[in-house]
Amino acid sequence: MIIIDLLENSLFAGIAAIGFGSISNIPLKSFPGCALLAAIAHTSRLVLMQLCAWNIIMASFVAAISIGLLSIPLAKFWRCPAEALSFPALLPMIPGMYAYRAVQSLLICLQNKEEISFEHYFNLFNYNCMICFLTMLMMAVGVLLPIFIFRSSSFSVTR
Amino acid sequence: MDNITTSNDAIFDFAPYIIVLCIILTVSIAVFDLLRKKKKDKQTSENSCQNDYYTIDNKDIHSYLKKVCLFLSRYASKLIQYGATTIRIEKNIGRIAERFDTVVEMGVLPQHIMVTLWDKEHLHSYSNNEIIKSQGVDFDKNTLLSKLSWEIHDNRMELDEAIKRFDDITARPRLNDWTVLILTGLANGSFCRLFGGDFISMVIVFVATICGFYLKNSLHGKHGWDIRLVTIISGCIATIIASSCYVFGWGETPDIALGTGVLYLVPGVLFINSINDLINGHHICFISRFINATIITICLSLGLCLGLIILNIKFL
Repeated sequence: MIIIDLLENSLFAGIAAIGFGSISNIPLKSFPGCALLAAIAHTSRLVLMQLCAWNIIMASFVAAISIGLLSIPLAKFWRCPAEALSFPALLPMIPGMYAYRAVQSLLICLQNKEEISFEHYFNLFNYNCMICFLTMLMMAVGVLLPIFIFRSSSFSVTR
Repeated sequence: MDNITTSNDAIFDFAPYIIVLCIILTVSIAVFDLLRKKKKDKQTSENSCQNDYYTIDNKDIHSYLKKVCLFLSRYASKLIQYGATTIRIEKNIGRIAERFDTVVEMGVLPQHIMVTLWDKEHLHSYSNNEIIKSQGVDFDKNTLLSKLSWEIHDNRMELDEAIKRFDDITARPRLNDWTVLILTGLANGSFCRLFGGDFISMVIVFVATICGFYLKNSLHGKHGWDIRLVTIISGCIATIIASSCYVFGWGETPDIALGTGVLYLVPGVLFINSINDLINGHHICFISRFINATIITICLSLGLCLGLIILNIKFL
């Protein structure tokens, strides 16, 4: 069952990456590379979170590093900048539900006049905002680290 | 932390009509757009204007530097419009400048890009400020312009030939609008599934995304409305349609449908680019891109809140 779940997640992560990539007009030939990277990253994050009980921030960071590392050889293969593959592949990992819950908590917080409820929902708002922001920050740092470390190869892939 | 649950008891009775109204609104704007479709070839007129820059025949060093600098500033401005990172722009224009035996320096401001070109001996220079027009991220043109920089460098390409190739690349059409619309709908539907949404929620999110994204493209791209206002409207319409699961009692995961309905508006690439600029030391560019990304995120949150308030969806 776990394998089926992982495969299903990989498939949908791949579709999401292609769709969000199309908004950024990624080159047509790099669609498969983008989907592959998203599938690998999303699956690895799921494994780290569910089987190794990691939190979403660290799991996303490691998954983003894997995207960054793999994007350089794949970019060389498809002859396009590593960012064109790695950035859209990162988008399916955006912690959208945390962002939504943050907005939800803020709305309830503003509607509540009692101090205890207000504080509770304000804490929820802070918690969700913090998780959302840190996850996105670590994702961005994770994907960019390999590009900066292997600077010479990552900027000559289109040669 | 406890999760918040949502009650559909308080939803206004007229909520179904609002959902239908939103869909009708989107469809009618689509029909309106189809009827008034006029092909304005902005790219061609823009390019023909820009070509005047390069009709300088003077052979002296100043004219030479001017000619190359104007090309480089336009090249850098286009790359930043297409969502390239500052480090890539620096590398690419540095490579092109090297081919023309010059040295280039670049600074990025929120609305302008400043390029200064020196000759090898640092005796003569030419500076130019180029406006950064707001255009959507375009990795295809980003890729082709990066390739062009290598071709100019490796093949010792002449400036006129480089300008011609550059104009050809910038005039290339983007992926078909309808294809992007369907792919974005599928992407957001898949996103809903990744968060644990059921099949009905996926379908609702697909419809909500298509309506919202079409409105965004139409109002901003075709009618020239402000992107912030368009994001609020688009987020609001997408939220109203995504709340169908609550209003009609469809599916088991209405909360996930509502939460993922607006996620296609998240400016992910802009946010990642800003972090890249931060690491690269272009702090003004980082602040500019980060603020832009934050404003869009606030606007989509406002759209989401507005949708929830219009339908009176209460959280418990």
